[in-house]
Amino acid sequence: MMTLKILKYPDPRLRTVAKPVTEVTDETRELIDNMFATMYAAPGIGLAATQVDVHERIVVIDISAEKDEPLVLINPEIIAKNGTEVSEEGCLSVPSIYEKVERAESISVQALDRNGQSISFDTGGMLAVCIQHEIDHLDGKVFVDYLSPLKQKRISKKIEKNQKFEESHTAF
Amino acid sequence: MSNSINVRAQAARCITAVIGEGESLTTALELSRSVVAPRDVGLLYEMSFGVMRHYYQLYHLARLLLSKNLKPRDKDILALIMVGLYQLIHMRIPNHAALNETVSGTKNLSKPWARGLVNALLRRYLRESEDLLTKLKSKADVVAEMPEWLARRLKKAWPDDWQSIQQASQSHPPMTLRVNRAQLDRAAYVALLDEHDIPVNVIDSTPAGVALVSAVNVDKLPGFDEGKVSVQDAAAQLACELLAPVDGDRVLDACAAPGGKTAALLEYAAAHNEQAKVVAWDNSEQRLQRLKDGLSRLGHEAEVACVDVSDAKAVSAHGEFERILLDAPCSATGVIRRHPDIKLLRRETDIVPLVKTQAAMLDALWAVLKPGGYLLYATCSILPDENTLQIESFLSRQADASEVMIKTNWGQAQGVGRQILPGQQGMDGFYYALLEKRNIS
Repeated sequence: MMTLKILKYPDPRLRTVAKPVTEVTDETRELIDNMFATMYAAPGIGLAATQVDVHERIVVIDISAEKDEPLVLINPEIIAKNGTEVSEEGCLSVPSIYEKVERAESISVQALDRNGQSISFDTGGMLAVCIQHEIDHLDGKVFVDYLSPLKQKRISKKIEKNQKFEESHTAF
Repeated sequence: MSNSINVRAQAARCITAVIGEGESLTTALELSRSVVAPRDVGLLYEMSFGVMRHYYQLYHLARLLLSKNLKPRDKDILALIMVGLYQLIHMRIPNHAALNETVSGTKNLSKPWARGLVNALLRRYLRESEDLLTKLKSKADVVAEMPEWLARRLKKAWPDDWQSIQQASQSHPPMTLRVNRAQLDRAAYVALLDEHDIPVNVIDSTPAGVALVSAVNVDKLPGFDEGKVSVQDAAAQLACELLAPVDGDRVLDACAAPGGKTAALLEYAAAHNEQAKVVAWDNSEQRLQRLKDGLSRLGHEAEVACVDVSDAKAVSAHGEFERILLDAPCSATGVIRRHPDIKLLRRETDIVPLVKTQAAMLDALWAVLKPGGYLLYATCSILPDENTLQIESFLSRQADASEVMIKTNWGQAQGVGRQILPGQQGMDGFYYALLEKRNIS
């Protein structure tokens, strides 16, 4: 297993719309394992393939505190949405930024698991928020897109500043 | 997606791990600190520790407020209610904020059905707080802030000190550092702290200890990454002074992980220009990894091995030692102020097996102690069964063992050994007994 490089907003590659997975192969599973390693190391609770510059519809998630409930969604689709709720989100591609985003409160999901078996379930709370956030990535969307233009501008500035700081602190 | 979990829900998860699964709070929090937003880490710790510190009060309040029992699988909701009550009673968070954030924690726990319940219950507390708190005054564990069995044993063992033990166990412990004397002396490090505007008090009973006036994150400590300093309570720092290894000694730290005392022994030797060979054992590979990481940060070297010290045969396979430190597994009743979850995790039925294990360890190690050598027995317990009674029974078993009186100004002399009660001279509760193996020929 290896950790992959996570694309950082506003990288244009984050705008790529991912293609459906036609067949779940050993390579797919290897990618999934690497995505989990990357997500756990970050640390994060969800990661879309888009974020590691692979433009296939694959998402990995683990919202448990013990990091022992991995969830793989291949070609995920939200087939029903109910209610709305606002919660604070953060993103591994937009480090150190946390903003409130409105999402559906509960959703019904259909996807394939890591063996290519079809799965479907209803969920709410944290998991529903996370799934919606990750599917957005597959569609080339980032959570800051939901914020006001003023806030987006402020975030871009903050990220620029953070990057400069990081560069100046990576001495060789 | 990255960590932006409702911090109150996460505190509830950590507390559930303790009360539901017997996990230690420290472990649960370590796993959690990456899950919440960085700015919420402090709050997560304060709320989780706070609920443990005031567990009996909060638990009984929650039970009074709940009209029927929650299902066993809803312990997280009970925990969230306690997190809510803790904020309302013990924290200076505006009531409306505490209420709203706690109520929205139900969603984060994926139990939206509990929203109304938590909301109604916390509001009722605000309306009837005086009455409710009065009702709690008859509960023994609420008054003592610890389980009945432990209060009973402590009152019996320490009739004069019981009150102060109880208060110290509820208090916030100081953050205490041990300066790495292999690198620099205490005065030099205090000067460094001064440059960084970190106020400290020197701890006179130790040669390398300083107490911070208020706790800071370790990465704020100058030279932490370069191993100039470690975090360790003053009581634990005394072990290396008592064992005082000299040139050529092979010294064993028998239950070494996470390695604080191993490092302190090496620093003692460096400060006194003694060449001591330190061997560190523990029965957990995982914990030994932490020990190795800690030693490498400090620039120390020790011979490390995974050994179960209660297994005499395993112990006998590694040669003999001039000095042995046995920091034995114990009830940890002396460090409740640092680990308030001990009040919940420890059961009265744990004591007998612990005492047996300690005795087995003492006997196994005695066999590999060279005649003329010293064994230092240490616990962070304040129960006589694990301390004076344990050593008295050991002395009656081993004909070639005798006690070396510890003459010092800290703690209090016992029938055998010396006891520090929690909070005495600002230290954790600790017990030490120094034993000499006589030459019988």
